[in-house]
Amino acid sequence: MADKKKRKASTKKKKSDKIEVVFFKSDTCAFCPRAEEVIRETLENFGSEVFELKVVNVSENPDAAEEFGIFALPTVMIGGISVTGIPEPDLLMKMVLGAKVMTKKKDGSK
Amino acid sequence: MNDLIIERVKTGIPGLDELIEGGFPRGDTILIAGKAGTGKSILATQFIYKGATEYNEPGVLVTLEEPPHLIKRNMLRFGMDLEKLEKEKKIAIVDLSPSKEVTPVTIGEYPSFDLSGLEAIILNHVKKIKATRVVLDTLSIMAYKFKSRDILREEFFKLAATITRAGCTLLLTSEIPAQEQGLGVFDIEAFLASGVIVLYNEKISDTSRSRSIEVLKLRGSKHSSRIHSMRITDEGIRVWPGEISPGV
Repeated sequence: MADKKKRKASTKKKKSDKIEVVFFKSDTCAFCPRAEEVIRETLENFGSEVFELKVVNVSENPDAAEEFGIFALPTVMIGGISVTGIPEPDLLMKMVLGAKVMTKKKDGSK
Repeated sequence: MNDLIIERVKTGIPGLDELIEGGFPRGDTILIAGKAGTGKSILATQFIYKGATEYNEPGVLVTLEEPPHLIKRNMLRFGMDLEKLEKEKKIAIVDLSPSKEVTPVTIGEYPSFDLSGLEAIILNHVKKIKATRVVLDTLSIMAYKFKSRDILREEFFKLAATITRAGCTLLLTSEIPAQEQGLGVFDIEAFLASGVIVLYNEKISDTSRSRSIEVLKLRGSKHSSRIHSMRITDEGIRVWPGEISPGV
């Protein structure tokens, strides 16, 4: 029983450690499919336990784009920063690594 | 009903309709240009407010610059309660101002994007409140937000076409930089619109300035070719059609 509890707690911690990557696209955006490809390929290098990719289709969910003030597509948001257009893998990697460092810093200061 | 007769949209600016054959042509894109402090935002917001209160035409105000709480506060000084209209779903205020806390900081921009997000956001509100008026205040801020001006120019054309195709009359505001002679930072603002209105606030002596308004172009309309006096009164903007401005 105690073991079960312990396992549950560690899973929870792992989940909160994941870096959230939000990709905004639309049905009519010609650049979005390529941008999504680049993002998925780049993130694969980190392994799925490091990040969580959320895809927001603005055509279906315009409220989400409005909430974050994002109106140029494609846009990828990691932490509090974003890139618009088809991103270069190098920049994406830097963003993910930057977000990882920030998460560690936050954890360390707790 | 003759299809060739132009239906007019009342501007809600006292005196202005008399200069333009009764109002803006319905479904057109109108540019309101002027230097800082000439009253562009007030005129555009008054167009939305009066549309909802006097002509039963719901409107969407998209703010790219000033946060909504400041717009509401400033318009209340003219007796225009935007908050109330928003609650009654007669208007929608779309906050895309840079002051939003959750907006991420953009660290990179590649010249491979479009404004389909902005289009989806605006059309969502148009549909929700059945709007027939849309204001985008101000185009100029985009020049500072994005580097790729060629893309923006093309995207503005597409955006204006989509909004007007949805049955809305679109007002765009554009700030003329202090030392420039054009109509905005993109050099295409005048082509983008079928109507152009320019606001002035010129110094006429060491101690005073004079506000005025000029209808530079309005396709399909006979309009005044003179520069008329305009004032910002306690009830908003008012134009004096019979009064020619001494200032310009």
